Amino acid sequence: MTPEVPAEIGLTFGTYEEARALVGTRTSVVFAERAVTGALIKYFCAMVRDANASYWDEEYANQQWGGVISPPAMLLTWVVMPEWRPGDPSPAPMLLGRVPLPDPTVISVGTDMEFFVPMRVGDRLNVEETLVDVSPRKTTSLGEGHFLSTESFYRRGDGTPVARYVHDLFRFTPA
Amino acid sequence: MATVDEGTGYEIAFGTFEEAKAMVGQATPVRFGRVEVNAPMIQHFSMMTEDANASYWDEEYAVATWGALVSPPAMLMVWLMPLEWDPEGSRPEPLLTARVPLPGTTFVNASTDTEFFAPMRVGDHLNVVEEVVDVSEEKKTALGVGHFVTTLSTYRRQDGQLVAKNTNVLFRFGAEEEGS
Amino acid sequence: MIPGVDYHQRYWEDVAEGEELAPVEDEITYRRVVMNPATTWDYFPGHHDPEYAKAQGQPTIYINTMHFLGFIDRLATAWGGPASFITRRKMSMRHSIYAGDTMVGQGRVVRKYTDEPGGRTRHLVELEITVENQDGQLCVPATVHLELPARQAS
Repeated sequence: MTPEVPAEIGLTFGTYEEARALVGTRTSVVFAERAVTGALIKYFCAMVRDANASYWDEEYANQQWGGVISPPAMLLTWVVMPEWRPGDPSPAPMLLGRVPLPDPTVISVGTDMEFFVPMRVGDRLNVEETLVDVSPRKTTSLGEGHFLSTESFYRRGDGTPVARYVHDLFRFTPA
Repeated sequence: MATVDEGTGYEIAFGTFEEAKAMVGQATPVRFGRVEVNAPMIQHFSMMTEDANASYWDEEYAVATWGALVSPPAMLMVWLMPLEWDPEGSRPEPLLTARVPLPGTTFVNASTDTEFFAPMRVGDHLNVVEEVVDVSEEKKTALGVGHFVTTLSTYRRQDGQLVAKNTNVLFRFGAEEEGS
Repeated sequence: MIPGVDYHQRYWEDVAEGEELAPVEDEITYRRVVMNPATTWDYFPGHHDPEYAKAQGQPTIYINTMHFLGFIDRLATAWGGPASFITRRKMSMRHSIYAGDTMVGQGRVVRKYTDEPGGRTRHLVELEITVENQDGQLCVPATVHLELPARQAS
């Protein structure tokens, strides 16, 4: 199986057995590099064309939520590691990238998010990820590979639970 | 006549050199940026340029030196970028240079000259006034026949403090044959 | 009130099971897909590099998960109003939306219920939302649980 896809996305390679051995592994808590920011919320809402007053109108949002809130869909953005930072040119990849498997690429197949409190401008989130499952080898229309499942808990700086996120992915070799 | 160019998404105004000349000296109304200067965007930009300047990354250092984290000067125009969509319904404002009526169907930037008067600090909300300063006679370059359009953009902070002046020269070209 | 911003609020009591959400069509140009990394900072090459997407067996670049999530949430909260809160959203990817496609979102209320986590009564609705492409192909089915304000707060 020759990977045809350029290996530029920082995946770890290995065997299914090695991947299985990682099931149950929990990462250490990763602290967001940035706080929930109003400007980024505007750019995101401009992309999805969402006119919700909770994202655009500070006065309304202050009254309703105690501040402008983030679209729930931006959960992952607040903890994205920068591609580069001074003195640390190669940040640690997300857990899903660190699972050793033979396949050269990956695609999201599903997400399940539960939210407990809104994310407000100024909140600085942290996250803990666990590898929940790695499936035996399967064949789909995309190609052959393994399904992965991770579960993440997001909290505010003060420990308040913000969200639980289950992510299903397919790590595959294109057909 | 103004048309939206499919390739660039920018609105380009077409007209004659005389119509263009008539715009010289005209200034746009004050336009405020849709976002404030903010740290995540500063760091995202500095990640792209791989610029480790402490003024962009180290809040403690930046507060002591500038009063707050500051923006890389290169981000001047970023803080005035219109949103791609806005609930208020405004379409992205076309560049003033593209709104100068000329025959040329496309453009390329020729030069940028920026003078800075105050740092752009996190929390600043900038505004800009643009002015057409000059439209050259028809010139022939390696790219084709067209006109050089010079604009001056003046950037200020919300408190009126002058932040920067940017003189931009753009070459508007591409019409096969110039009309009179 | 900012013109164009959506303030229309729905209350739990006014919802009927079976109610349909206003459908939304959205044309996804290359420019829109490239807004994915610009706004979500997800630099997975499938969302900006057509060559990479083709090597993956896809026709071209496609929108990322967060764009789907944002579109689904937009549908749900545009219906529910700005004071509504998404308590849970589950979606799965059946098919991608590629640059050049049109994304079509539809939804309806399948359940109206309350629960009491930690003694606080939440007034909830369960929405079934689908995202299809211009050919009517189901790309993303989703279930959204939305908390709405109640006229008679408990």
